[in-house]
Amino acid sequence: MNVKNIARLVRKDCWLMRWPLAAYILAAAAGLAMTLSGGSVARSAGITLAFNVLIGVSFHVMLGPVLGERERKTLAFVMSLPVTPKDAAVAKLVAAFALFVIPATIAASTLVWLSPIDIPAAMAAAHRPLWSHLLGMLGYYALVLGAWMVFFSVVLGAAIISESVGWTIGVLTGVLFVFGNFVMQILPTLHGLRPYLRTLARGQAALPVTIACEAAGIAAIVAIVLTMQQRKTSFV
Amino acid sequence: MSDCAVQLSGVSKTYAHFALRGIDLEVPYGTVLGLIGRNGAGKSTLLRILMGLVRADAGCVTVLGRDMPGDERWIKARVGFVSEDMALYGAATLAWHMRLVRDMHVGWDQARALDLLDRFHLDPDQPVRGLSRGQQVKALLLLAMARHADVLVLDEPTAGLDPLVRHEILTLLASSRSERRALIFSSHYGDDVATLADNVAFMHDGRLITYAPVGELLSGGRSLEKVFLEQVSATECRRAA
Repeated sequence: MNVKNIARLVRKDCWLMRWPLAAYILAAAAGLAMTLSGGSVARSAGITLAFNVLIGVSFHVMLGPVLGERERKTLAFVMSLPVTPKDAAVAKLVAAFALFVIPATIAASTLVWLSPIDIPAAMAAAHRPLWSHLLGMLGYYALVLGAWMVFFSVVLGAAIISESVGWTIGVLTGVLFVFGNFVMQILPTLHGLRPYLRTLARGQAALPVTIACEAAGIAAIVAIVLTMQQRKTSFV
Repeated sequence: MSDCAVQLSGVSKTYAHFALRGIDLEVPYGTVLGLIGRNGAGKSTLLRILMGLVRADAGCVTVLGRDMPGDERWIKARVGFVSEDMALYGAATLAWHMRLVRDMHVGWDQARALDLLDRFHLDPDQPVRGLSRGQQVKALLLLAMARHADVLVLDEPTAGLDPLVRHEILTLLASSRSERRALIFSSHYGDDVATLADNVAFMHDGRLITYAPVGELLSGGRSLEKVFLEQVSATECRRAA
């Protein structure tokens, strides 16, 4: 792989997406501010905005830099530069994650705030050192952001492999349905999983294990994408 | 070192409704090859295989003595490619594209780029979406030619352009001939090929049916279009028999 040229392609995508990216960051920040304001209506609106940012930025990254290249015929231009298909796929993955991660982190902050527990009050009552609280918050962030990154990776992988808007939207819809219904509604009610989820809520061993599983899931998806890219025979 | 800039041997590619069959072709340095064929004859597929944008199912592709796709990055750094199916980023300016290409190509010649900008009357600071089709083709040619590519591959670069722009582009291509460079271009216009090419290859239904010097085919005052139609007709008759 040519790291310099990959970096140039990543910079290219980030530059081309700079205005939408700025808009998503602003919207995510507004969502966070509304949630922090404390009012129930503002909080609800802030959380909705955070979800909208996560879904919106996912769609935008897929339809713009990933799928849009072929439709706008710029893919042939990119592929005529001194890069291999693997270089181009790695650049797309890195650019997509880079574009997703900032607004997603802000939006994830809003979702962390969504917690039914009054986090500052609980922190004050726990009488633990500050570093312990910071570590706990970081772990929680990693968990929430990791879940969204897994979701994003699945859709991104579908977009890069299929190069089809239909398939990508199908996978996105499917994952949202599974995430919304199975992960959020059904999973917590399963008897076998309750103890695990309790330890996860307390930030015990289940937390790093779950974060590690999320990271492994993302790595597996990236590996599948690169393997599938190697097997392709047409790149425009 | 071989005197051929490009060599294709037994190149085949099969799609659901189309197949490129056993293409053998050599393009020596310092020559211009014109590819003529109907829509869907396989010209673009052949050029895409040459550029590594499509992988052949069988056969060997050698560009500048290196194997495609084995040395894809090395080859792409030395080959300029322009296609009618290629576009620049509409929101970005030509100057932005020039910086992108300059950063990725060691052979970029800024003086040559500025000369081409002047010659084509292009404004480097205008977003590409504001350029006409002809200007966009010129911009693509500028990006391909300002880096002293050893091979230029042009897939129907003059398609859909007005006669004035076509003439401008053909004049530029004619003036950029060099003993160290090979030029391959496909076109629907026999006149363009007759003006520029040393050799011509006729493609029909995924096959190379003729490969000959242009002068040889034009003997007797016939036009390339006429010769092409005769060759296609003869091929069809042979197949029917």
